Amino acid sequence: MAATLILLSIGLPWLGALVVWMVGDRHEKIQHALAVAFSLAAGVAAVILLGSAGKETALTIPVGGVFGDFTFVADGLGVFLAVIATVIGSLAVIFSVDYMHGEHQLGRYYAFVLFFIGAMVGLVLTSNLLLMFVFWEITALCSYALIAFHNDDPKAVAGGVKALIITQFGGVGLLLGAVLLVSTTGSYDINALLASPSSIPAGTLAVLAYGFLVAAAAKSAQFPFQTWLPDAMEAPTPISALIHAATMVNAGVYLLARFFPAFKDVPGWTEAVMLVGLVTALMAAIMAVVSNDLKRVLAYSTVSQLGYMVYAVGTGVVFASQFHLLSHSVFKALLFLGAGAVIHSVGTRDMREMGGLGKKMPFTRVVFIIGALALAGLPILNGFWSKELILEAGLKHSPIWMYILMLVGAGITAFYTFRMVWMVFYGKPKAEGHIHDAGKAMKVALAPLALGALTTWLLAGPFSKILGTETLPYHNIHAESTWEILGEVISLPTLVALGVVALGLLAWWQRDKLGGLGKALGWLGKAAAASFGFEAINRGVVKGTQGASNGLSVTQTGLLNWNVLGIVVALVILFAVLALGA
Amino acid sequence: MSMNVPSVFLIVVIGLLGVGLYALLTVRNLIKVVVALQILVKGAMLAFVLVGRLTGQVNLGQSLALTVIVADTIVAVVGLTLAVQVRRKFGSLDIKDLTTLKR
Repeated sequence: MAATLILLSIGLPWLGALVVWMVGDRHEKIQHALAVAFSLAAGVAAVILLGSAGKETALTIPVGGVFGDFTFVADGLGVFLAVIATVIGSLAVIFSVDYMHGEHQLGRYYAFVLFFIGAMVGLVLTSNLLLMFVFWEITALCSYALIAFHNDDPKAVAGGVKALIITQFGGVGLLLGAVLLVSTTGSYDINALLASPSSIPAGTLAVLAYGFLVAAAAKSAQFPFQTWLPDAMEAPTPISALIHAATMVNAGVYLLARFFPAFKDVPGWTEAVMLVGLVTALMAAIMAVVSNDLKRVLAYSTVSQLGYMVYAVGTGVVFASQFHLLSHSVFKALLFLGAGAVIHSVGTRDMREMGGLGKKMPFTRVVFIIGALALAGLPILNGFWSKELILEAGLKHSPIWMYILMLVGAGITAFYTFRMVWMVFYGKPKAEGHIHDAGKAMKVALAPLALGALTTWLLAGPFSKILGTETLPYHNIHAESTWEILGEVISLPTLVALGVVALGLLAWWQRDKLGGLGKALGWLGKAAAASFGFEAINRGVVKGTQGASNGLSVTQTGLLNWNVLGIVVALVILFAVLALGA
Repeated sequence: MSMNVPSVFLIVVIGLLGVGLYALLTVRNLIKVVVALQILVKGAMLAFVLVGRLTGQVNLGQSLALTVIVADTIVAVVGLTLAVQVRRKFGSLDIKDLTTLKR
């Protein structure tokens, strides 16, 4: 049963990708309908899979001795992320029906979206590290292709290439880990590693741990790789929602959470993870304050919230990190799709040219504000509960200065969130032309997400059960009821945190009176607008990589004679080595 | 001077492989490239038969050689067809003119 469902939730999107592509771009309506049907079907399969979650290997595909069997386990962590990937993914596909209306080359668009979703499901469900690497790279390739979807726009292409090159650093880290694992234990099985991390030498384990941290940081746009995600904003908006909420960036946090039991005793690892999360959360929050591009503000907020999740993994409370991942997926998809409706209607992403849109787009305003309140962490929305859980974990298991800085980050989050809402929906109307509210398909996608942002926190109990020891034997998460978990949240530190959030709101309310403070912090704003110098470094890395590949293309002569010479020389060397060795 | 059969075979094998490789290194005409490939593969085929005999697995060596004959025929047919098409499209059989993928 579980095996069939796993195959369906990976296979349906992939089959859909093939079918939509083969239908051809002359039949747009059929393409829209098929894409929605296949993604929804995968979502249904993944939701049913929730019911048969377990720690046993559910599906084994033998592929010969070298690679080990391709195994899949439907444990809590995997199933939950598979549901997010397929359900949020299918909502993004539904939204695309309106957003991509009249665009050319829909076949390419939907094929990559569906391929992306299927690969993400495979990534979280497999328990073979090599196969995980393969899925990992497929998601990287799909994100590249989708970010650069408008391939006649040089900025979009540059954003896509940048995303691909930067995330490849992560891929190398993961591949290194896989090779090391198989050379020491002789198998690619992840769960065997989790069961007895002490079975491999401490030095090797440390290399694995830090290699995976680099992999996760690159994938989830964490410090120092954080600059690829904002540049990925050139993608069509449903793609941004897909990358930010359903697929791509969750993979990094997933990797850390999955391997936490194996790496938690590596000296300095948890501290490093916490530090990466902390630096990212703060830096990205400050960058969001000074950005004027609606989608970039959302992108920085994603980076910042991912920082919170990474930090939570570092504190050892994997449950808080995954619960925030769930909340974040819902409200960030909501915010991105809401922003998509706004951008689709106004035709610009610059918030300075918006303003006063609330009256003309009442539905979008309501759902967007729900998402924004969840992002700011106001009760009783889902973002509040999960963020407080993370802060509480920070208070208990990390140095107090880290906790205080994370609190400051929460305050800044509230500040930039309200700045964004105000600039878009309130104030003096600036946009001209015909402004229309979200279309029908857009509403169909937005409504469940808004409902989710209001209610998913009620799932805390069942969520802790599915991540509990029954399906994840090594993560030490205890199943509790919703009320127990929520009761833990309501405490004095939470009031302090709420006070900080309120302070952030107050700061935006009284922004005119704080003009002096703003001027005093002008240097910080300037540094933030320049990404604290990391933009330049990352751009240098991208340029260097492209230059190196241009230079190396000399070796590809395209001439048969030279290639044969290469073969002959290699053969001679091989024989020489064999002769000397024997 | 007397030579046993295997060493004669071995000399022929090395000779065929050498001629084939040398031709592939120097020849630029597409049809000659196909011919060079044929010579090279004939050497490999003979090597299969020889090794089969030396290791006592005559059947295995000969059946592998037969398989290579089939595959090799296909290579020759497809290669020559491509050569005809290349000539029609580029007006030349020089492989130096076939580097358009690079630019």
